[in-house]
Amino acid sequence: MNSDIKGLVFNTQSFAIQDGPGIRTTVFMKGCPLHCQWCSNPESQKAHPEIMTTDIKCISCRKCAGLCDAISFNSKGRQIDRAKCNLCLKCAEVCPSKAIEQIGKYLTVDEVLKEVLRDEALYRNSGGGMTVSGGEPLLQPEFVTELCRRAKEKGIHTALDTCGYAPWAVMEKVLKYIDLVLFDVKHMDPAKHKKFTGVDNKLILSNLKKTVPMVRTWIRIPLIPGFNDSEDEVKEIAEFSASLKVDKVSVLPYHEFGSAKYAKLGNTYPMQGTASLGEDKVKSVVTSFQQYNLEVEVGG
Amino acid sequence: MISVEELKKATTVKGVRNVRRGLNIKDESNRGMYRPDNRMGLERERLLVETYKKTEGEPMVLRRAKALKNILENMTVYIRGHERIVGNYSETPNDVFIPLDLTWRSFRRMIIEGEAQTLLDDKGKAELNELCKYWDGKSTRDIQVKTFKGCEQLEKYWQYDGTYMWSHFYENGTLDYEKLFQVGLNGVIKQCQDRLMEINKTIPFDYMEQKNLLEAVIITCQAAINWGHRFADKARELAAQEKDPERKKHLEQIAVTCDWVPGNPPRSFQEALQSFWFCHIISKQIEFPSTGIGLRIDKLGGPFYVADIKAGRTTKEDTLDLLRRFWMKFEEQGFAFTPSISGIYAGVQTLSSMTIGGLDKDGKDITNDVTYLILDTAEAMHTVQPSLSLRVHKGTPKKLLERATDVVATGIGYPSFFNDESLIPLLQRWGCSLEEARDYTFTGCVYIDIPGKNAHRRSAGYFNMARTLWWALHRGVNPETGEQYGARTPDPATFKSVEDVMQAFLTQVDFFINKMLQVENVTKSVYETYMPRPFKAALTRGCVEQGKDIGGFKDPNDGISNFCISGGQTNVADSLSAIKKFVFEDKEVTLPELIKIMDKNWEGHEELRQRILTRSPKFGNGDEYVDSICNEVHCRTEAIIEKITDKYGARYHWDGSVVSLGYSFGVDTAATPDGRKAGEPLSDGSLSPMVGRDMKGPSGVLASCAKVDTLHSYNQLLNQRFMPQFLKEGNKEKFVSYLRTWHDMGIPHIQFNVVSSANLRDAQKHPEKYTDLIVRVAGYSAYFNDLSKGLQDNIIERTEQGL
Repeated sequence: MNSDIKGLVFNTQSFAIQDGPGIRTTVFMKGCPLHCQWCSNPESQKAHPEIMTTDIKCISCRKCAGLCDAISFNSKGRQIDRAKCNLCLKCAEVCPSKAIEQIGKYLTVDEVLKEVLRDEALYRNSGGGMTVSGGEPLLQPEFVTELCRRAKEKGIHTALDTCGYAPWAVMEKVLKYIDLVLFDVKHMDPAKHKKFTGVDNKLILSNLKKTVPMVRTWIRIPLIPGFNDSEDEVKEIAEFSASLKVDKVSVLPYHEFGSAKYAKLGNTYPMQGTASLGEDKVKSVVTSFQQYNLEVEVGG
Repeated sequence: MISVEELKKATTVKGVRNVRRGLNIKDESNRGMYRPDNRMGLERERLLVETYKKTEGEPMVLRRAKALKNILENMTVYIRGHERIVGNYSETPNDVFIPLDLTWRSFRRMIIEGEAQTLLDDKGKAELNELCKYWDGKSTRDIQVKTFKGCEQLEKYWQYDGTYMWSHFYENGTLDYEKLFQVGLNGVIKQCQDRLMEINKTIPFDYMEQKNLLEAVIITCQAAINWGHRFADKARELAAQEKDPERKKHLEQIAVTCDWVPGNPPRSFQEALQSFWFCHIISKQIEFPSTGIGLRIDKLGGPFYVADIKAGRTTKEDTLDLLRRFWMKFEEQGFAFTPSISGIYAGVQTLSSMTIGGLDKDGKDITNDVTYLILDTAEAMHTVQPSLSLRVHKGTPKKLLERATDVVATGIGYPSFFNDESLIPLLQRWGCSLEEARDYTFTGCVYIDIPGKNAHRRSAGYFNMARTLWWALHRGVNPETGEQYGARTPDPATFKSVEDVMQAFLTQVDFFINKMLQVENVTKSVYETYMPRPFKAALTRGCVEQGKDIGGFKDPNDGISNFCISGGQTNVADSLSAIKKFVFEDKEVTLPELIKIMDKNWEGHEELRQRILTRSPKFGNGDEYVDSICNEVHCRTEAIIEKITDKYGARYHWDGSVVSLGYSFGVDTAATPDGRKAGEPLSDGSLSPMVGRDMKGPSGVLASCAKVDTLHSYNQLLNQRFMPQFLKEGNKEKFVSYLRTWHDMGIPHIQFNVVSSANLRDAQKHPEKYTDLIVRVAGYSAYFNDLSKGLQDNIIERTEQGL
């Protein structure tokens, strides 16, 4: 395997306690074949580095404007014409205060591993490890395989957080080095799935069925108002989950925490104004799953 | 069991409000230094002066002994309706303790015309004036002033200029409670009598000193025993009138207890607590103002409790009831601080901590039933004092860490966690035997101590490392006055590497700490001559054996006597890291340019400041580049202070407790190359990352801290803030594993604020709704409302480690 291979990573989050057992470091890969409307990490979607802005950090030094025709300053502060942006990322390089920041860097396996290994003692004491998430890790299978292989060599528990949308042959190879799969199930209806995420669910469900016998699997269900939270929809997902032998089901209730990031990327949030789910609603969903004898947790 | 509400209703809480930053900057001083219901008691001061007047010309140690006897014989003793453990330092429960014999000018000023006028009414103020007249020229501080007079060096470097603050406040030291519980004060008296008989035969050269000391010890021990009898009489008197059968029983029990202790070895857990309390309150307040507790309550109390239960003398329920009432004795304590010291001890009562858990002298875990009863009590009581220091080692039971997590999760800021495997080797390196080191304890904050060990253990004061770096960047010359105030270090324009900057910094540390400790060493003699401590000597190892007062002898390798609190180390490390990268590696700016920019507080150079803030490696992110610099700052400054000794050859050490000096001294610290602006607070603990600069979560912080070598530095302090959810329910187990990891990484200390920023902000807006809100400031907890807005903001800005 080529050790010079690089992966496009947009964040490594240490001390993650909701991405598998114990305390973990989650490596977020950039690029995703799905574009879910509720996505709380919109900066994970594009498979190339891009810029993200934080206006409040801008000190109006105008260094960026001097370099780029797409950037100008007016009475409201710095303006970026995203249509003109050619992604050269020089603005992020010169910005002193990280008011413009580069999202996504090409890193070697060694670079990522160094950060992951720093918390080895924490994994040992908590039963944690490394989770590779995204975006979609399976878009960068060679890097992810090498990263997980090397982590396992060091005795680190590996988890793969995936939407499951990849050719089975690709997925199968990666799974060889995975101890736990966190597999997203969003909807049982292919058309509705396609409408809200951009792709239908056939490949995903078929991959899930093949994964479960191979690797320990937890199903994760983002619970989205107006998408999959009706009684029938929940029931269908629960029925399907129960038909597979999965260890656990995690319900991830919709939240708006990622909405501010859309503007920072020059986009608008598709689910603007959607209210969070009430505690009662979440409880009733949990109960529905429990009726199928599934171990359920909220979050995590 | 008595309700917490009932106990709290009966208690007047005393925490000093911080009204100054640095020496002169007022910090909301108009709100006053004390809560409106706090008062100053004058009885002790009155009785002390009475004896001093009567005993002029006698040996000082006997004068102090007789004064203590006069106070204990004639002061008001009271037993309040809820008390089962008794003993008071002042005539009413509303009083803060003010020692005029130590220093009186600042106290008088603050009460007569300053920030603490609510402490006395007009009549009291008149009497205070009279008492101060007596001490004029006689108080310890007056004698110190006279001693320094004519010595330009001492007079000049005694003053606070922002670099360090020498202070009379405060002394620690833990009594030999093991001895107290084994032989009682009668046993000590017997020991003194035997020693007197012995010297009558051997006639040593220091016969006079020994005889005076031994006689003084006997006087104070007898006085303490008789004080107990006064409480016993009072309890009997109250019992005779008492209608409620349960309370009557309690009062009768108090009478029996106080007749028996502190003279005799306790026979029960209650007698042990009572014996401890009498000696604690006498030695730490009535005899001489000092902070802390230091009792290893589970180690010493556990066997009594087990025996009580076995013999059917008590129940768990009844013991919890007893502990709750005992707890309020601490919460009721309060010290007066001078206004300038209030900036350093914001919200402090008496900085008191009890130690639980840890190893015994043989290396076995001491956890017992009392350990858990103490945690139960702390959780239920939710008070600022006593705080708890939990010693953790490889064999600490998981159950204990889980219970400790529950208590931390309540938001009270303790227990604070200490690492046996880091601190025991440190103490050994400092000169303690393995047995002694295993018995270490904390009096308050991270003030590390060995119970009963011969030590006049005090902090010489508070030292600002960040300002010391500023001197190094200015050749020791104050740019405003042109005065050569610090060491004459080379022109920064000639520095070729960050090592040159480090050298200049270390030279300045060497220069200033020597100046400060000269003041300290001379003042030690003032204390020894004018403030002998016969009661403390009774329970300090070696005093009776040698006939010497606590300051009269010392093993040069005693390890723990002398220390100085220091802060700002993280800012120095982050600054050196910025200089290394931006000046010597990337050459974005020359050092003389950078110094000029800082002299102008970054004005016109926000771009550079932002680049440093966003691109220079900062301590707290597990970045070797700066972590190794930080380690050097700690170890190399410790090596410097360890070269300095007192007259017995005992070395000095740094102490990382920091208290609230990071906030207070920040005001007197110019801009620093780490991107900090002039006047902004410094880091909040010796091992804490600078606020807001740790971006890699809790494990990034641990990774950095683990790079600092405890063995070659000193006892450190690390503050962390967590969202309350992380300690509760399903996450509790993860928090416990995080604690284990902290331990495995060899980090000496950690403590937690567990309260959300949203709550703290709401508390700023609606203080009336949050009278009970407690936060961890440094090595102590305080009521949020007692802190100035600026310090509150500083606590809110500390990085909240999320989920």
